[in-house]
Amino acid sequence: MARNLIKVKSGAWLDEFYAKENNLKVGDSIKFKYDTLELEEEIAGIINVPDHLYDVKDASELLPNRQKYGFVYVSSNEIPEKYIKEMVMKKAGITDENIFELAFPNFEYEKYIPYNYLMVDVKENVDVNKVKDEIEPLDSCLAIIDIEDTPSYSMYQGEIDEGKGYVGIFSGLFIFIAMLSVVTTMTRVIKRQRVQIGVLKALGFSNFKISLHYIGYGFFVSFVASICGMLLGRYFLGEVFINMEMKYFEVPNGKAILNLGCYAVAVLTVVLTSLITYFTCRKELKRSPAETLRLELPKVKKGSLNITTKGIFKKMSFASKWNFRDVVRNKIRTFTAIVGTAGSCMLVVCALGMLDSMNYFIKLQFEELYNFDYKLSLKEDITNEEIAELENIYGTNTSKTLGIEIKDENGERKSNNAFVYDAGNMVRFQNDKAQFIDISNDSGIYVTYKFAELNGYKLGDKVKWHIYGDNKYYETEIVGFNKDPQNQNMTMTKAFYNSLGLEYIPDTIYTSYDLSGSESIQNVETVQDITTLKNSITEMLSMMKTMIVIIIVVAALLGVIIIYNMGVLSYSEKQYQFSTLKVLGFSDKKIKRIFTMQNNWITILSIILGLPVGNFLTDWLFKVCIDDEYDFGVHINLITFVISAVGTFVISYLTSKLLARKIKNIDMVSSLKSNE
Amino acid sequence: MHFGGATFSVNEGEFVVILGPSGAGKSTILNLLGGMDKPSSGEIIVGGEDISKYTDNQLTNYRAENIGFIFQFYNILPTLTVLENVQIVNDIVKKPKDAREVLKEVGLLKHESKFPNQLSGGEQQRVSIARAIAKDPILLLCDEPTGALDSKTGVEVLKLLKKQCDANEGANTVIIVTHNSLIAEIADRVIRVKNGKVESNEINKSPKKIEEVEW
Repeated sequence: MARNLIKVKSGAWLDEFYAKENNLKVGDSIKFKYDTLELEEEIAGIINVPDHLYDVKDASELLPNRQKYGFVYVSSNEIPEKYIKEMVMKKAGITDENIFELAFPNFEYEKYIPYNYLMVDVKENVDVNKVKDEIEPLDSCLAIIDIEDTPSYSMYQGEIDEGKGYVGIFSGLFIFIAMLSVVTTMTRVIKRQRVQIGVLKALGFSNFKISLHYIGYGFFVSFVASICGMLLGRYFLGEVFINMEMKYFEVPNGKAILNLGCYAVAVLTVVLTSLITYFTCRKELKRSPAETLRLELPKVKKGSLNITTKGIFKKMSFASKWNFRDVVRNKIRTFTAIVGTAGSCMLVVCALGMLDSMNYFIKLQFEELYNFDYKLSLKEDITNEEIAELENIYGTNTSKTLGIEIKDENGERKSNNAFVYDAGNMVRFQNDKAQFIDISNDSGIYVTYKFAELNGYKLGDKVKWHIYGDNKYYETEIVGFNKDPQNQNMTMTKAFYNSLGLEYIPDTIYTSYDLSGSESIQNVETVQDITTLKNSITEMLSMMKTMIVIIIVVAALLGVIIIYNMGVLSYSEKQYQFSTLKVLGFSDKKIKRIFTMQNNWITILSIILGLPVGNFLTDWLFKVCIDDEYDFGVHINLITFVISAVGTFVISYLTSKLLARKIKNIDMVSSLKSNE
Repeated sequence: MHFGGATFSVNEGEFVVILGPSGAGKSTILNLLGGMDKPSSGEIIVGGEDISKYTDNQLTNYRAENIGFIFQFYNILPTLTVLENVQIVNDIVKKPKDAREVLKEVGLLKHESKFPNQLSGGEQQRVSIARAIAKDPILLLCDEPTGALDSKTGVEVLKLLKKQCDANEGANTVIIVTHNSLIAEIADRVIRVKNGKVESNEINKSPKKIEEVEW
């Protein structure tokens, strides 16, 4: 059907993104070349095609260059008969037209128009593997590729899966820390209102009426905040993230939307905040009006602090003892402060740690494993003589990458690739301890650690596979493992490849020969410069940086809110004691030191907890969220830990310093009076 | 509280009682004398120095070195033990008295490791007195020191205050603010205040002994 539809139309259908970048419209004419055929066509339409969702020129590009590279669909009746005839003659080895006429009487050129893809839709109740078994022996079939393995599908699905992972973890963490800050804020707000609550109670307002007032406050604030959050999420953050993603994919009208989950989270936030407000004020409402009207005094349970009067506690300074006992008495408040601060520290470690790990990956891939300056991808129809010529100039470090299909014991097939290695020191390998290893065993294959892990392979196991385009299966033994950050596959030596009865014709030459000036080399399809390869990954990282900045800012903000709230709570409880100290003759400076001491302890403890948990979280994120093709370990630099620790401490210290300024303004007379 | 020409003087070593009804301005006088508050006008001369001109830092030092405070509701720190509540002054006073010695004086040495909530009201007030006298202050200011205590305990507390006044070769001054006129009977000097004004400032020619007063 599709073939007939296209056939009746003339002109070309052009990639929308390419058209936009190059200012081309319907009716314009474009010139392009296919093999030796040059065509000039009028643009009949602007199109988006799912097959080209992820559309890059070759493996050297990670990010599509829409200005230089696009796709075009042309009706088959635009292909001249002459071109097809010449193609058929070349293939048949015929040079004489008369002979061709004899060999192909009544030549219908349309039948010879080459198609290189056939899409097969398998019905749901049919075994896919059986269909593959039927198609595979056909001469015209080079390879069968599952839709999940096509670049567009796998890249897009990979991003969706990665996004889902991040959404779960980061949203969960942020909601948790945000709720902690809500709990602490509401406790602080209610505490500040205790006199009002006492007055209302004394006037005869029922607890129900008073709590309704405060629930209303929590509800209203969280309702407005949730709407603001949704709008910001949709029009600001959502746009930022979706625009980052859309740089990779050709999605028409790609924009952020609010799904059901967003509304659910918003409703949950409002409900939780209202509930938290209710429980916080209920605690205050349980007290008698007289008690509520009095200044809050720290309560000490009889005997609860006895242990702190013995042993090493005896040697503590007055300030340390006092703060230590305050911590013991306020376990929940201390715990909340530690969780909030450690959580913020952890998020900063995680955000910076992701960047470090990605930088480590770039260094590993492009400075350690790749030890060449240029990678020459050779033309498909290159002859041995031509290869020898190139090797003479650029060296004999070569490789061949095979598209293969692996069949497991259950008949399940998986697409993969095999790397046949004859590249000497130009391409290096490492084990999982980051030590260089030699790929020199000529009796089997090496597989990457993650590949082995995903498929349950051990040393000595056999892997059954065949090369696409050749139905012969090989069973090869695993003789070693190597670590590869971005390709989970198998590697074998040229000698082992030859021992399988296969002829080694390299498809790549690696060289350190200076090729900076040369534009194209005969018989070479593409010349990839290692710096360009590196840059394309670095560009991807710059997007990640935006995300990291956002995470850090939000983490710091939430951390500050929690520290501030806890500080205010702790301060309001101690205000009366501080005024006593002031009356006794303690200077403001001394009292401030006593007040900030506890916060410093909590911060230090939070940092001690936050750093390793941040490290663990980053590692876990890489394991859970990143596509199976990648094998990233966590590699966080020492400086990141230092920055996270110092940053957390400074923010916390400044917050408590800010709070400590209140001490100067304590009115000794009224503070002491309100206790009467 | 506004004082219109409230002038009075007290001599070194006197046991003074300031009497007056609620709202008369008794506590305000105490706060001004103790350097907890500053007057909007006028002078407060203590030991020859006008403390009303002091800066905040000078007032802090003044409170630390010269003043001992005793409050109606004790104002001791609930998370410190009895001993620690007294030792706390070691952080601010150059030559504090030995905390244990002072606790012995007020009869609380056996409770030194207890926390305030493990003590009775009278005992708590005695901790507060111990803390005040550990500073060895020249001026002890007491705001209704027996106000929250039963009469028997109140007598014990007054005895301690009198003892402090007599210590140091009688150079210590104790000023008690109260509405309890019975306390005035044991005072060397009685100052009566009403509506922010000093009504009278009289020397008690024959102060009674604490035991002689019918509480």
